[in-house]
Amino acid sequence: MAKYLSKRVMTGLLCVIVALCLNFALIHLAPGDPIRILVGNKEPNPELVQVLTEKYGLDQPPLVQFEKYIGNLLHGDLGDSYYTGEPVQDIIKQKLPLTLFLAGTMVFIAVILGGLLGVFCAKRAGGKLDTFLGSFTYLFDSIPGYWLGLMLILLFASKLKLLPTTGLISIRESYTGFAHVLDVAKHLILPIATGVIGIVPYYFRITRASVIQQLGEDFIVTLRAAGMSEHKIFYKYVFRNAIIPTVTAVGIHLAYMIAGSTIIEIVFGLPGLGSYLMTSISRRDYPLLMGFYLILSVSVAVMMIVVDFLYTLLDPRVRHVSD
Amino acid sequence: MNKMKHYLHRHQRLVFGCCMALVLVVIAVLAPVISPFDPYDLSDEMMAGPGSMHPFGTDNLGRDILSMILYGSRTSLIIGISSALIAAVIGTVIGAIAGYFGGKVDMILGEIINIFMMIPSFFLILIIVALFGSGLFKVMIVIGLTSWTGNAKIMRAQALSLRSRTFVKASEAVGEHRMKILIKHIIPNGIFPIVSNTTMGIASAILMESSLAFLGLGDPNTISWGQLIANGKAYLTSGWWISFFGGLAIIYTVVAFFFIGDGLNVILNPKIRNVTNV
Repeated sequence: MAKYLSKRVMTGLLCVIVALCLNFALIHLAPGDPIRILVGNKEPNPELVQVLTEKYGLDQPPLVQFEKYIGNLLHGDLGDSYYTGEPVQDIIKQKLPLTLFLAGTMVFIAVILGGLLGVFCAKRAGGKLDTFLGSFTYLFDSIPGYWLGLMLILLFASKLKLLPTTGLISIRESYTGFAHVLDVAKHLILPIATGVIGIVPYYFRITRASVIQQLGEDFIVTLRAAGMSEHKIFYKYVFRNAIIPTVTAVGIHLAYMIAGSTIIEIVFGLPGLGSYLMTSISRRDYPLLMGFYLILSVSVAVMMIVVDFLYTLLDPRVRHVSD
Repeated sequence: MNKMKHYLHRHQRLVFGCCMALVLVVIAVLAPVISPFDPYDLSDEMMAGPGSMHPFGTDNLGRDILSMILYGSRTSLIIGISSALIAAVIGTVIGAIAGYFGGKVDMILGEIINIFMMIPSFFLILIIVALFGSGLFKVMIVIGLTSWTGNAKIMRAQALSLRSRTFVKASEAVGEHRMKILIKHIIPNGIFPIVSNTTMGIASAILMESSLAFLGLGDPNTISWGQLIANGKAYLTSGWWISFFGGLAIIYTVVAFFFIGDGLNVILNPKIRNVTNV
C-alpha cells in the first residue's frame, strides 16, 4: 500500500511541476506586456517603464525568472501582484475562504441530494420514476451554469422579489450580528442553488449505478437466500460498498469546484477567487495568475492523493492488489 | 416492420438524439436562407419583445434574436465537432501506442495521461484564450488539446486487451510491422467506445465554448450563443428574451449530443442495456 501511495504522491508532484512549467511558459510566450498595462497611458515615461521592468525582474531571461520564482516559492513566497503590490499569498488568503465555502456547500448539498435520489431510483431501477429522473439529469447536465444563474435571478429576484440579485451583502443596509449572517445567507441561496443543480446529476448517476451494481452481486443473492432481511442487506452490505465511488467523487469534485465556482461568482458578483481571477487576467497580473494556478493544481493533486488513500482504506481489495 | 419498431423503442434516446442533431445541422447549413433577418443588421426596433415580426424579440442594438440564434448554431457546431475530433485523434493515438507497445512506453505515456488528467483545464483554457486571443480557430484547438485524456484512457485499455488477441498475435508472427498492426488492427477494432465518448465530448466542448463566450473570451466577430447570453445580462429585467432563448438553444444542442453518446454507449455495453435503460 505504501508503495502504491508513494507512486501517487510522485504523480501528484509531477503534475504540479508540469502545471507550473506550462503556466509559466504560456504566460511568457503570450503577447502583451504587463508593464504597459500597469503604466497605462499611450506614451509612457520610458524611465518609469525601465524601473518597473527591473523591479519585477522582467528584463532577465525567462529561465532566470523561473529559477527565481521557484526559489521564492520554496520559501513560501508567491511574489507580489503587479497591480496592487500586495503579496500574492495575502490576496489569495483573502479571497479563498468565500470560494472554498461556496464549493464546499455546493458539493455537500449535491452529494446528499444526489445520493438520496440515486439510492431511491436504484431500488426501483427501470421504473417510471427512474426513467424520468434519468432523462431529467441529462437536461440538468446540459444547462449552462451561467444561464441558469441569470434565469434564477430573473425569476426569484427580479420578478418575485424574494431574494437579492447579486453581491454578498445589501450595501444600503448595515446589518450586524445575526442579521448580517442572515443577509449573507440570503445572497448565497441563488448561487449555491445554481451550483448544486449543475452537479447533482453527477452524484445521482454515480450512486445509482454503484447501488445497482452491488444489488446484482452474487453474495447479495446468497444473503437473500439465507433469509436476511432486505433492510439489513441494504444498509450492511449494499450501501457500504456502493458509497465508495461517491466518496471518491466528492474529493475530486471539491478541488475542481474551486475553478467551477468562477463562473457562478461572476454571474452573481461575489468577491471570491474566481471573479478576481478574471480581473487579473485582463490586467496581465502574472504573479497572481501563477499563484492562482499553483493553488488550484496543488489542491487537485492533494485531493487526488487523499482520495486514493481513502480508497485503499474503504476497499480492502484495492489494498491487497496494490501490495 | 415489427423489428424496426422494436429497435426504435429500444434505442429511443439514440434515435431521438440523432433527429435533434439532424435538425440542428440543417439549421446551421441553411441559416442564411431561413433567417428572417441579417443577424448583424442593426434596426430601429430596439429591445422589442417577442412578437410576430421578431418571434424571439430584438436586442439592445435592434438585432433579431431568432436570426442570431440560427447563425449561432454554426459557431457551436464547428467548435464542438472540431475540438472533439482533435481530442479524439490525440487521445486515440497516444492511448493506442501506450496500450499496444506496453513496457516503458506505456509507463511514460501513462504518466503523461495521468498528469494531464489532473491539470485543471478550465483555468488553463481561460488563460490561453485570454492571453493569446480568442479567434474561433484558437478556441477550437485549445479545447481539443485539453480534453483528450479520457479518450486516451479508453483507447489504452482497448489496446491492452486487443494486443493479446489471436489475430494480432498472428499478424505479429507473420512479421508485420508493429506500426502497421497498430493502424490496421488495434485502432479500428478499439475505436467504438471512442466514438461514443467523442459525441459526449462535442456536448462538453459546446458548453465550454459558450462559457468562454459568456466570459467575453469568445471570438468577438462571430455570433455565438454564449455571447448573446452575456449581452442580455445587462438587460435581464427589461429584456429577458435576449438571454433566455440563447440558453434554450444551448440546452437543446447539448441534450442532442448527450443522447447520441448515451445511446451509442448502450449499444456498446450490453450490461447497461440489460440492467436498465438509463
